[in-house]
Amino acid sequence: MQLSDTGVSRVNGYLFVLERSLKTFLPSDLVRDAVREIESHLRERVASAVADPNERDVLERILAELGPPLRVAQAYSAERTIDEAVTTGRFVPIVRAVGHLAATTVTGFFTALGLLIGYLTSFGFIALAVLKPIFPDNVGVQYVRGFPIGLGAHFPLRPGIDLRGGYWVIPVALFCGLGIFVGTHRGARRFLSWWRERRLS
Amino acid sequence: MSHETWQEQLRRGGLDLAILLTVSAGPRYGLAIIQHLEAFTDLVVTEGTIYPILGRLTREGLLEAEWVEGEAPHARKYYKLTRTGATRLSNMKAEWRAFAEKIGRLMDAAERTDHAAL
Repeated sequence: MQLSDTGVSRVNGYLFVLERSLKTFLPSDLVRDAVREIESHLRERVASAVADPNERDVLERILAELGPPLRVAQAYSAERTIDEAVTTGRFVPIVRAVGHLAATTVTGFFTALGLLIGYLTSFGFIALAVLKPIFPDNVGVQYVRGFPIGLGAHFPLRPGIDLRGGYWVIPVALFCGLGIFVGTHRGARRFLSWWRERRLS
Repeated sequence: MSHETWQEQLRRGGLDLAILLTVSAGPRYGLAIIQHLEAFTDLVVTEGTIYPILGRLTREGLLEAEWVEGEAPHARKYYKLTRTGATRLSNMKAEWRAFAEKIGRLMDAAERTDHAAL
């Protein structure tokens, strides 16, 4: 079947949406390759379709069988981001993969919430270690009625806030921050690995 | 777990094996793989989701992909099984058969028990 200009526009529109969706998480060379392959699929399907006066119906059926562009992009995302995260164990791919699962599944959402708290806590401790030498009086162990309640920073330091602790706060904050970061990161990788196995099983 | 979820998991589990089996006979391009799968199974629900799986199997080194120009008015991306892919396929086939046999035995035993109870 030979497509009219309207049909060609419809196909180009589909490919445009697909490309835009893929660009959010795939490198540009892989996006080009994926779009080229889907375009090849569509051209093949259209060429083998029996000529029909109602071109629109035929084309919509072909596109429906292929799946909405966002769904196809999501499938690429699921295959790509989780594999990359598990294989490399790098921070950015792991965050991207967890973010993807959080946006698409309930389990992923609650796991991502837990992991977010873990990462933010670790960054908080590391930030205290960085801030302590710059603002020695604003960072330390906070005491309430003589009892230590945790490490913290106050800007500005209001009267009545009891912050104590010397520079030993730095290694303690670093130890806690890095420990929580490593624990959270391992947890994230283990979760993605479990998810991947579940998908393959 | 709902029946649909169970079916979906079963379908996903079989899809990698089905794709590797499809290209084991010789190189095939995406649509030819989909048509082959559609002819023998009902594993393909959405055609567009097969391509990301082909991409993953290629990244895992089980398949090798190559664009071929001039064969049709448009280029086609052919997939063929690598040596690693052939080994994996052989293992998967053995595991699948063993698994199906065990489940079959279990089903037979359950049916025998049902008949005895009647």
